[in-house]
Amino acid sequence: MVGEQTAKQVELFFGPQHPGVPGNVGFKLWLDGERVVDVELIPGFLFRGFEKMMENRTWEMNIVMCYRFCVEDPDNLEVAYAEAVDRIFKVEVPEKAKYIRMIMAEFSRIASHLFWANFMSGGVGLRTTGYWAIAAREEILKWFARVTGHRIYHSFSVPGGVRWDVPRDFRDKTLDLANKVEDIVKDIEEALLRNPVFKARTKNVGVLKAEDAIRLGVTGPSLRAGGMPYDIRKAVPYENYDKVKFNVPVGENGDSYERSVIRFKEIHESLNIIRQSVEEVKPGAPYRVKLPLTAPAGVGISRVESARGEYMIHVISMGVMKAERVGDKYVVHFTGQGGRKPYRVRLRSVSLPLLTTVLKHIVRNEEVTIADFPVIVKSLDPCPPDIDR
Amino acid sequence: MVAATIGKVIKYLFRKPYTRLVPESQPPLKLENTRGRHVLDMSKCTGCSMCQAVCPANSIDMVFVEGNWPQNKRSRFPRIDLHKCTFCGLCVEYCPFSALSMTDLTGFELYTRDKSSTIYYPIDLSKIPEGAQVRITITKDKFKASEEGKAELGGGGLGSS
Repeated sequence: MVGEQTAKQVELFFGPQHPGVPGNVGFKLWLDGERVVDVELIPGFLFRGFEKMMENRTWEMNIVMCYRFCVEDPDNLEVAYAEAVDRIFKVEVPEKAKYIRMIMAEFSRIASHLFWANFMSGGVGLRTTGYWAIAAREEILKWFARVTGHRIYHSFSVPGGVRWDVPRDFRDKTLDLANKVEDIVKDIEEALLRNPVFKARTKNVGVLKAEDAIRLGVTGPSLRAGGMPYDIRKAVPYENYDKVKFNVPVGENGDSYERSVIRFKEIHESLNIIRQSVEEVKPGAPYRVKLPLTAPAGVGISRVESARGEYMIHVISMGVMKAERVGDKYVVHFTGQGGRKPYRVRLRSVSLPLLTTVLKHIVRNEEVTIADFPVIVKSLDPCPPDIDR
Repeated sequence: MVAATIGKVIKYLFRKPYTRLVPESQPPLKLENTRGRHVLDMSKCTGCSMCQAVCPANSIDMVFVEGNWPQNKRSRFPRIDLHKCTFCGLCVEYCPFSALSMTDLTGFELYTRDKSSTIYYPIDLSKIPEGAQVRITITKDKFKASEEGKAELGGGGLGSS
């Protein structure tokens, strides 16, 4: 839009130090009076080069790196990386470990949605419900601290299973927590989603229909709100998601309100999955397969449904050595990593389309005022660290 | 309706707060599996540098310590920079001689005002501060069961919140 600027338009830098942006990103807005005419993302505040750093660390050490792609939803990324490496090593993870990983991933999804609920309530000026969401998240973080030893970064799902056995009263505490969270979430739904002020701020604001979402490369709740029932947990089941029963909530209009409703419905579905999975965590069953130090040559691709959409992790292992025929001789290459480290790790970012193409699409197709802009950005729930990584 | 929102708000007004007043009234949250400051058993460490090799944050260096160590001829022990440490516990998991373990010393108990004092030399690592109630939470035994493929009947209880 730079070339089409008129004298009337005002350029406004929005963020990164602004409560209206989702994190460590900035925006450049072009304003015509109150109306936002165009938007451009300013990324790069969080660039740390994780994909390159993972090439210099062994398979297990990389667990400490992989969840830093998205701070709010760490366990889904842990599971994604562990799955990809399991595929390279061609190991079958014990059933108990699969169910524990699922419970971790679902609680991580709930914690992420609750954190989003705090931001969303703040974005529309209804801070009270945000504090309740943080209270529910605090209960989940305490549970994580009990089971894994840490609150945010757990390093619990490792290639080959989970790191240690769960405590004896795991089942009771987990079901207790699920009930506690459900109570608070029901109150938030009552107070936030049925609130006429919230409805007025979000209905028919930031509409993203399914066909546009597919064209722009959107996955996750933002895609499902538009009416497309696509969920990796159903489409390409990983872990034991094909053995539990759950629904995929789908919206119709794809506006900010639908996206908010979908996220709250997803919390209930996640609690449903947790209640089914926790019964399958048998005490005394094996939970980890010890992997050898060096990996065979191969490619591991895993796709997981995180709180924001589909994360795809692509890990390449070159193996210890590779024989190649040149003419009538065999040439043996010893790869630098010696099979101990990945040759390349790649991640498909969820938030990049949300903050670039989707925002441009919304701003150009409907009348977005400067007051609507934070609501739209927050209802899309992007996670800036995975853009920069 | 707005009335529903106000009703819920009044309900939450009379609930116990979730905020914990640390350190005025409560210590930091310490649980069975809390991963905190390391403890080094200098009589077991052979200076094999395995902990240095597996540290993802490069926070461990091997340094020389004066003295007679029969199992450690080169007198080299790990020095941990807690400023870099991510408390992942890989050094404990991979230590072949069970020399390293983790305690529940965490949070503001590790607080210092300058970066140089976050570097813990082997002699500091082998001591537990006096007067503090510290228990050893993560040891090599926690990972041994999984290595042998044996089933383990859970760690400690979850304890009360």
